[in-house]
Amino acid sequence: MTSTGAATAPILSVDGLLVRYGAAIALEDVSLEVGRGEMVALIGANGAGKTTLLNTLSGILAPSAGTIRCAGRLAHVPEGRELFFDLCVDDNLRLGAWKAPSRDPARIYELFPKLRDLSRRKAGFLSGGEQQMVAIGRALMAGPDVLAIDELSQGLAPIVVQEIGRYLVRLNAETGLSVLLVEQNARLALELCARAYVLETGRIATHGPSALLRNEPAVRSAYLGGHVTT
Amino acid sequence: MRRPRSLLGANPPATVGVLVIAAATLVLPQVLSAPNLITYVTIGLATIVVAGLSLLMGFAGQVSLGQGAFYGFGAYSAAILAIHGWPPIIALVAAVVMTAAVAAAVGALLLRLEGHALAFGTLALQLIFLSVLSQTPSFSGGAIGLTNIPALTLGPIAISGYRSYAYFVWIVAAAVLLVSRNITRSRPGRGLRAMATSPSAASAAGVGVVSYKLRDFALSAAYAGLAGAIYAFFLAYISPDAFSVMLSIEFVIMVVVGGLGTVSGAFVGAAVVTIVAQVLTSLGTGPSLPAQLPNVLSEGVYALILITLLRLMPDGVVGLASRLTKRLVRAKLERRATLRPAAGTVTGPVLAPATVETDGAHAARADGDTVPSRGGRAGGAT
Amino acid sequence: MSVLLQYLVTGVSRGFLFALLATGFVIIYRVTKVVNFAQGAFVVLGGFIAYSLLGAGVPQGLSEVLAVLASAAIGLLFGAVTILGKMSTIASLITTIGLALLCEAVAMLVWGTTPLTYSGLSGHDLRFGGIFVQPQYLLLIGVSLVVLAALWLLLDHTYVGKAMTACASNPYAARLTGINVKAMGLLSFAIGGALGGVGGVLIMPLFPITYDSDVNLAILGFAAAIVGSLTSPTLALAGGLIFGIAEELVAGYWSQANETAVALALMILLLLWQSHRRQQVAKLV
Repeated sequence: MTSTGAATAPILSVDGLLVRYGAAIALEDVSLEVGRGEMVALIGANGAGKTTLLNTLSGILAPSAGTIRCAGRLAHVPEGRELFFDLCVDDNLRLGAWKAPSRDPARIYELFPKLRDLSRRKAGFLSGGEQQMVAIGRALMAGPDVLAIDELSQGLAPIVVQEIGRYLVRLNAETGLSVLLVEQNARLALELCARAYVLETGRIATHGPSALLRNEPAVRSAYLGGHVTT
Repeated sequence: MRRPRSLLGANPPATVGVLVIAAATLVLPQVLSAPNLITYVTIGLATIVVAGLSLLMGFAGQVSLGQGAFYGFGAYSAAILAIHGWPPIIALVAAVVMTAAVAAAVGALLLRLEGHALAFGTLALQLIFLSVLSQTPSFSGGAIGLTNIPALTLGPIAISGYRSYAYFVWIVAAAVLLVSRNITRSRPGRGLRAMATSPSAASAAGVGVVSYKLRDFALSAAYAGLAGAIYAFFLAYISPDAFSVMLSIEFVIMVVVGGLGTVSGAFVGAAVVTIVAQVLTSLGTGPSLPAQLPNVLSEGVYALILITLLRLMPDGVVGLASRLTKRLVRAKLERRATLRPAAGTVTGPVLAPATVETDGAHAARADGDTVPSRGGRAGGAT
Repeated sequence: MSVLLQYLVTGVSRGFLFALLATGFVIIYRVTKVVNFAQGAFVVLGGFIAYSLLGAGVPQGLSEVLAVLASAAIGLLFGAVTILGKMSTIASLITTIGLALLCEAVAMLVWGTTPLTYSGLSGHDLRFGGIFVQPQYLLLIGVSLVVLAALWLLLDHTYVGKAMTACASNPYAARLTGINVKAMGLLSFAIGGALGGVGGVLIMPLFPITYDSDVNLAILGFAAAIVGSLTSPTLALAGGLIFGIAEELVAGYWSQANETAVALALMILLLLWQSHRRQQVAKLV
């Protein structure tokens, strides 16, 4: 259930990022890469700085130092979905295309057929899984080259998470969309992605292929519940 | 780093300030001339009102545009009772209690509304109050008002004359400020501060959100009623003109100038605005000048104060002063320590954390930015 | 009977004025979550500017249009002052109070304190069921309906309108989708200004306005907007009509002096009922 990246220049490259909140340092010397067509994970506990990193990548926050190079468009699926709850599903999707040439959500309905019946329902009245699909769909409407997802699994039943994970893998395989999966749920992240970074209190603690990280004792005890799972 | 315990307590500049003001209040009434004494008393009365409003705005985060109505209600209650034969001091106390009761009743209903609705609701109260006054001439004297209000007597002592009122008002003001200070320092006070920035967090922590708001609302109304009652005895004459919408707005401006939530700021705000108002009136009045110039000047200056102060000095004069003294103190301390190059300078624009608490002013300010916090605060301010 | 009809006509016209004000509140609130205290000032300034232009010889029709554009520009300026930079809700509210005061001061300075009016649509009074109605009333109602319909279409049925709603619904997510939340906010203020200006130029021939008319107008416009929970333009229209008619009936059958008090008491009751209903819904969800 993993895919490997192409050997050309990365689609996203972050180097020595320093982000502050006033006097406090939120991210320090953060560097990572996402290759074209790759699915990369960023694992970290609550408060490690994952959301701060994504907010910086999508331009909400400005770094104090370091560089971000993106060879295409990056779309950020925020933690907690953050839909426009007063608007219907269809409107939410269409608004995602604010800066994109095509506002037609047809391809999103193809990817997530369940949303077709819900297209006129107000986003506030959807289940968690349905909301997550809308959130991802909204981000996809922007026609991104990299999709950065914050806490995909938050508040969702495992079976729903598995289903959405499958959608993502299919998307990645069929369209070459790169994915940066930012997660507390390390098992899920390592399952879906070939490579991973571990973020701890604002710094990259370690990184490498998922297969190796999964067996690294430090990662196992901190993020995988201490025992090996296949 | 241990600093030797100063005789002046934890916050030397504030203690010095208080001592200076205390000395001034003892000396000034002997020294000032009659018209200035009137101003002096007016500032004192305003301080009492603003102490309450500052509590409501700074800690409960509620804007009330109806303090003028509570001020007027206190004045009319005391005046009507005294005219009908009640002992003046009892009339005064009764006026305060009645004002608080009315505010509690009205507040219980109005406070269930969100901030902006409360502002309009209290403004509506103000307008309704004025309307009722003009509609009940037999009771309230209508547009003409009430005259011949008996003098305020505390047993055998009669408070009359500007000088006596000057002392009396400031004794009351000092008492009121002390009460406010205790409220802000105590646990309920801190609970209110937490609540102003995040009602959900505060209720999770067990702070009774609605009851604190109501207590503060009633208390601020009581303060206003107290000041109004004293005003009625002071002037021995009241009319609806004195309790206009402009008065309510002036109280809000005093809070903004002094600093939301600061106790000492109440006096600073009251003094600054009253003196500025008087200066503008005298500037604008003259034989060859248009009749509305004083009003234009005062409204214009008020407007500019409200618009600019909240950006430049969100903590008011007091907050600014305390920030400056802190910077001076810190500069002195840093000069003593060895100089080390800073770890990294902030270059790009960075967002401030969700709440900023400045020590001396004890004012918590919610940042209206778009970094998500549960429950989406004021939008649009990116 | 004809007296009642007269009250209704006047009430409906004033109701449309309130509806225009209310829609101004709604659009600004929907996009920026700010309640604009200065909404009434747009009416006053719009009317006064038209008055001056007419006095300077600018033809009827053109004066009004220019005055509305000027109001829109003033709205934009107020928006910039209110929403640019970081400010808490309480600070934005107080800022708009300050802006309203500034308008009063400027109005007093430039146009003085006497009530102003100018002649509106000329022509014979039309006859409706036993009463005479000035054509200006019909102009007011007609133009208001067109403007309000256009706005409702904009907000609920166009892409830009939905983006504006999104800005208040979730400013963070709006920013992520690339919507310029600040620009939308400024646009909403400009529209609010224009709406106030339309109200001002249409109402001045019927009811003279003074520099301090803005407070009463703002509070009644707000009351009408509350009927729509500050978010629904159609309910705001209904609210405007309710308050306009109620005011006129009270003034006619009880006393002029009480009309505001009754309207305000009505508003407070409405506010409470809404808050009560919201709590009930909150218990269900």
